[in-house]
Amino acid sequence: MPLPPRLTSLPRRALARADALMNRLYGWRGNPLYHSGAIVVALFAILLATGLYLVFFYRIGSPYPSVARITEQAWLGRWIRGLHRYASDAAVVAVAVHALRMFVQGRSWGPRTLAWVSGLVLLFVTFVCGWTGLVMVWDLQGQVLAQAGARLFDLVPIFSEPISRAFTGEHPVPSAFFFLNLFAHLALPIGLGIGLWIHVSRLARPGLLPPRRLLWGVIGSLLLLSVVWPASLPPAADLFALPGAAPYDWFYAFWVPAAGTLSPGATWALLLGVAALVVAIPWLTRPAQERRPPPSHVDEQLCTGCEQCYADCPYEAIAMVARTADPSGQVQRRSELVALVDPGLCVSCGICAGSCAPMGVGPPGRTGRAQLGTAREWLATRRPQSGAIVVVACERGAGGVTRAPTFDGAVVYPVSCGGNLHTSVVEYLLRRGAGGVLIVSCPPRDCLNREGPRWLEQRLFHDREAELRERVDRRRVRLAYAGEAEPGLVRSQLAAFTAEIAALEAAQAEEVVDLERLCEVVAVGGKS
Amino acid sequence: MSRATRVALGALVSLAVLGGLRTTSYLPYTAARDTAAVVRLAWRARGERVNQCRTRSADELARLPVHMRQAQVCERRLLPYRLVVDLDDREVANREVRGAGAREDRPLFVFEDIRAGQGRHRLVIHFTREGGDSLSAQAPIQGLSTPPRLALDTVVALYPRRIILVTYDEEREQLVLRDRSPL
Repeated sequence: MPLPPRLTSLPRRALARADALMNRLYGWRGNPLYHSGAIVVALFAILLATGLYLVFFYRIGSPYPSVARITEQAWLGRWIRGLHRYASDAAVVAVAVHALRMFVQGRSWGPRTLAWVSGLVLLFVTFVCGWTGLVMVWDLQGQVLAQAGARLFDLVPIFSEPISRAFTGEHPVPSAFFFLNLFAHLALPIGLGIGLWIHVSRLARPGLLPPRRLLWGVIGSLLLLSVVWPASLPPAADLFALPGAAPYDWFYAFWVPAAGTLSPGATWALLLGVAALVVAIPWLTRPAQERRPPPSHVDEQLCTGCEQCYADCPYEAIAMVARTADPSGQVQRRSELVALVDPGLCVSCGICAGSCAPMGVGPPGRTGRAQLGTAREWLATRRPQSGAIVVVACERGAGGVTRAPTFDGAVVYPVSCGGNLHTSVVEYLLRRGAGGVLIVSCPPRDCLNREGPRWLEQRLFHDREAELRERVDRRRVRLAYAGEAEPGLVRSQLAAFTAEIAALEAAQAEEVVDLERLCEVVAVGGKS
Repeated sequence: MSRATRVALGALVSLAVLGGLRTTSYLPYTAARDTAAVVRLAWRARGERVNQCRTRSADELARLPVHMRQAQVCERRLLPYRLVVDLDDREVANREVRGAGAREDRPLFVFEDIRAGQGRHRLVIHFTREGGDSLSAQAPIQGLSTPPRLALDTVVALYPRRIILVTYDEEREQLVLRDRSPL
């Protein structure tokens, strides 16, 4: 049963507003909310680098004193430990933003289920990794985390002795415990690497690192924090005292109050219940069968085997295969290869439709041919004035301008994704009298289909296959980026574009008149 | 918005995020709020292993596959103990401690926290094997086992938020008190 739409629409709007704010402050290229997934990878790289340093000084025989010695190294150890701690905390925040983004934008079901579930596994491994890291310090927080974890694991009937016994004070906490912690803390990142590979396995050209400016911004900010406000060291663990007030890392110890209040069984039930709910999100959020967008289809009669759709598909859902004999028994001689869409991988983004010059591929109703038909119908019903500006806008972003038929005097032509737009539609609109076409797409990296704006820009202005024909006046075509909550950006872009088109019209009118007059004068002069 | 304003606001937002990160990373919390003292009972007892054997009837054997037709079947388990704790002549615990594991053939574990006010208290503990008389005659398994009866009768001084541990000393074969971790 799908979740109620309000459950996702409210947080989606909130996220869109946050995106708009970040775009204003940092620009869409540096918006950290757009790059949350890549920031996590960058933070893991920081954790690996700082962790390598820390492991040289950590002693499983005397965990707390060794961490205290690291913290006393004013020039290196103190801030490296701080950077390690803050990077691990920031990773949780970035993962939360990334998961929220995928959830509210409906990018968690269908072929994206693997990425969603593997992402949750990565998050769980991250939590375990963080838990072992905090226990390793063996301060008050480490003790409470260890004891709370032991109480939970005592309920699992796979251990020959209750783990809680290690922390009763009967015997010193065995070094083997700290060795196991250290081993898990070092081994789990290897699992994270494998998990990350699975997580992005269905993506073409996954963006694993944020843009350089943002990357250095994140590193610099955390470094500054760890120098100005270094990681402190709470009191050492004491098994013969009730744990008093101590600072806790709530990014990893958020479950401790529940574990302290509820019985181990109830805590397990709560944790497993929440885990089951988030794992089930792909099945809870997918639309009903009849509302699911259909996957792309290839018309083999039109396919020239150019491989452009195969190159452009952001989900590696298209393969080039050898042509097979047609039912009449004759082999198609048009090309050796033909595109084949895997419906299990296709998210119906329609980017292939925009990349196909002969208009032979795309989701039903959104192929290049279907788009031309739609444009024809749209012109017939809307009848925009000659010379009017047409705003071709993405339905999911573009300042939400597609909610109304007009925007600031311009007529709005909605498309499912900028990357889906076939350039022949732009040419068609201009030839049928539009003064200019302003295409408003989501900012790159916020495209629900990953690479829509990127390919669109190249097709419009850089002759990428299925390019806008040379005969089209580029001065009458403009590409702008705006998120869902940025109508002001569309307004300013439209005003500037309208003014430019007006100036262009005026100049062209003058040019025409002057030339004719000049010709007449020359002709008259010649005769006389 | 001018570029300078945007840069300043961007820096402010970054600082706020960093401050939030640091604060959430070191937010104080008290895991145990009460000020009581705790008497912690924690030990491992080997217990007395017993075999309860019986001979299968001919009918039972006939119902079994050929390779499973073993005439005698034995169940090995540990005899349970009863733990009784009195604090200032008031019974605060009275329960049976059975062997761990599904077959109750793993060592017994005692792990119990008893809250008490600060000050001096009389603590009496009895840890007594149960059901041994009838069963041990069947087939006791000799080995290093905890004595059938352990007892402790002492006065303890308790301090707020401190834990005093009662555990079993295998060498001395008796219950002992500890208030700090052994070296």
